[in-house]
Amino acid sequence: MIRANSLHKCFGKKVAVDDVSFAAADGRITGLLGPNGAGKTTTLRMLSTLIAPDRGHADVDGLDCQRDREQVLGRLGVLPDARGLYPRLTARENVRYFGQLHDLDGEALEREIDRLFTLLDMGELADRRVHGFSQGERVKVAIARTLVHGPRNVMLDEPTNGLDVMSTRTMREVIRRLRDQGCCVVFSSHVMQEVAALCDEIVVVARGTVVARGAPDELRELTGKQDLEDAFVAAIGTDEGLH
Amino acid sequence: MSWRHIRVVFLKELTDALRDRRSLFSALILPLVGPLLVVVMFRFLAEQNATTGPVPLPVVGAEYAPGLIEFLRSNDVDIQPAPEDPEQAVRSGLAPAVLIIEPDYENRFREARPAKLELLVDNSRNDGRAKVRRAKRALDAFGAQTGAMRLLARGLDPQISRPVAVTEVDLATPQQLAANVLNVIPMFVMMAAFIGGMYVATDSTAGERERGSLEPLLGNPVSRTSMVLGKWLATAALSGASLLLTLVTAGMALGLAPLDDLGIEVSFGVSEALRVALVMLPVALLAAGVQLLVATFARSFREAQTYLSVLTLAPMMPGMWLTVAPMDAAPWTFAVPILGQQVVLMDVIRGNPVGLLGYLLPAVLALAFALVCVRVTAWLLGREKIIFGG
Repeated sequence: MIRANSLHKCFGKKVAVDDVSFAAADGRITGLLGPNGAGKTTTLRMLSTLIAPDRGHADVDGLDCQRDREQVLGRLGVLPDARGLYPRLTARENVRYFGQLHDLDGEALEREIDRLFTLLDMGELADRRVHGFSQGERVKVAIARTLVHGPRNVMLDEPTNGLDVMSTRTMREVIRRLRDQGCCVVFSSHVMQEVAALCDEIVVVARGTVVARGAPDELRELTGKQDLEDAFVAAIGTDEGLH
Repeated sequence: MSWRHIRVVFLKELTDALRDRRSLFSALILPLVGPLLVVVMFRFLAEQNATTGPVPLPVVGAEYAPGLIEFLRSNDVDIQPAPEDPEQAVRSGLAPAVLIIEPDYENRFREARPAKLELLVDNSRNDGRAKVRRAKRALDAFGAQTGAMRLLARGLDPQISRPVAVTEVDLATPQQLAANVLNVIPMFVMMAAFIGGMYVATDSTAGERERGSLEPLLGNPVSRTSMVLGKWLATAALSGASLLLTLVTAGMALGLAPLDDLGIEVSFGVSEALRVALVMLPVALLAAGVQLLVATFARSFREAQTYLSVLTLAPMMPGMWLTVAPMDAAPWTFAVPILGQQVVLMDVIRGNPVGLLGYLLPAVLALAFALVCVRVTAWLLGREKIIFGG
């Protein structure tokens, strides 16, 4: 369960997030949809404890993201905007590092890493150094590292950015699986089709504010548009930055 | 703070560093190059200060002063024919000095008036200084001898022309003389402490952010202090290893240096090396702490490297000062990190006794200072501007 309550954040004079509230329930995929620069990444950074909101608060499973930082991070798996790996370590070592920082170790950790690499179709790359991996392979390692501790709450910032068709399919498969296991999944995207294909709940963000929210059907009803794309454009007020 | 997390971060950073050519290079450069410089430097010094062998001295107008020439020859001066351009010969370093005897030397000498001799030297050159000094001494000796004979011929005791007799008594023990020369070793060891971990410090902070791995790393349920402590220990491990290695190779180099030719006696054995290590290891911890802090603060990898290069010069300054003007251990010097270590180190190398406080106080202060740096770095990692840059 991830909750944002009237989050506000300014950087200097620029208002990045201006009153964002939503609740992402367990066993549901919640999509944060909005054009580039709408405030999605800043919102996710507040939810993942890295940025303190100017006003409002965020919580994960009822734990405050600022006050109970380490407990929140223990229950959260985050794929942030920056997903750099350590090029001199192997894929396995990259994932193992994060697993160990979550207090996992030994046989159980290695089994979980193997399971994730198989799931992500990365088996044969596991023990190669990450240096020279393709964009898609790197994202997969980053995903494995996000999920290695089996978090009940998962946040993914533009997870399919830069992925080819096959990798995108794998990624969607992983996201659905997480939902089916009862996880609370929040992911952000500026790609409308993706949100439409995956989400149980959509939160439309524009200019730092939530402009609409609901299940895809509710959104159609709300805006009076039959086509989902038209519904989004109507909600945001412009099609700039959407694909 | 968790020991387990500190260990995980430490091991990861160490693995990462040991697989990197650049960080290995920065850890190994001084252990390899420093001692080489020691040997070359000592050989050079030995050559310059050679106190044996004839002094070559080209003479212009040797035919005017056969007596003087004879005297010089018997005083270990190798009289050489006059070069075509005496001034050029001295300036270019071809000859350390050229002696010019004026044609009226013979007349003036016979009339017991000062006979003029010109000794061309170039005082801006270091290489011939010892030889020039010895040539001068031979000329002075000739003057003194002739003067004494003249007085005797006139029935006077030559002693009356020597109202005072100055004798220089050098109180420095050979050990202390050697220490002045040996100061280069603490300097190299100090540099190793700062250069050894420089790359890891940059790579694990500014590099971590530039690579885009800082944000994911901070998404782990680990206190920032544990994280920085792990990185700090990894940096200090490389600094310390580099420092110890420099000590070993420098000690071996001393064995190869022509110290006997310099009339220097050095007792730099295992026990001295161990004491130097004891004094210097806290410096590795201090250097690592300061470097992490500075590199975290820098906006980019490049900027961090620039700052850390400049930082490397800082600990060398007291070292250079001590080489020029060795100072005794005033109590306050112990309290200044780096300077304290260097003063204690000088005592160790000079063979002076060092009290427990001398070892302990600088070490404790260095550690305290390093931990402050770690704490501030951890605080910086909680700041949005530092995490995301910008």
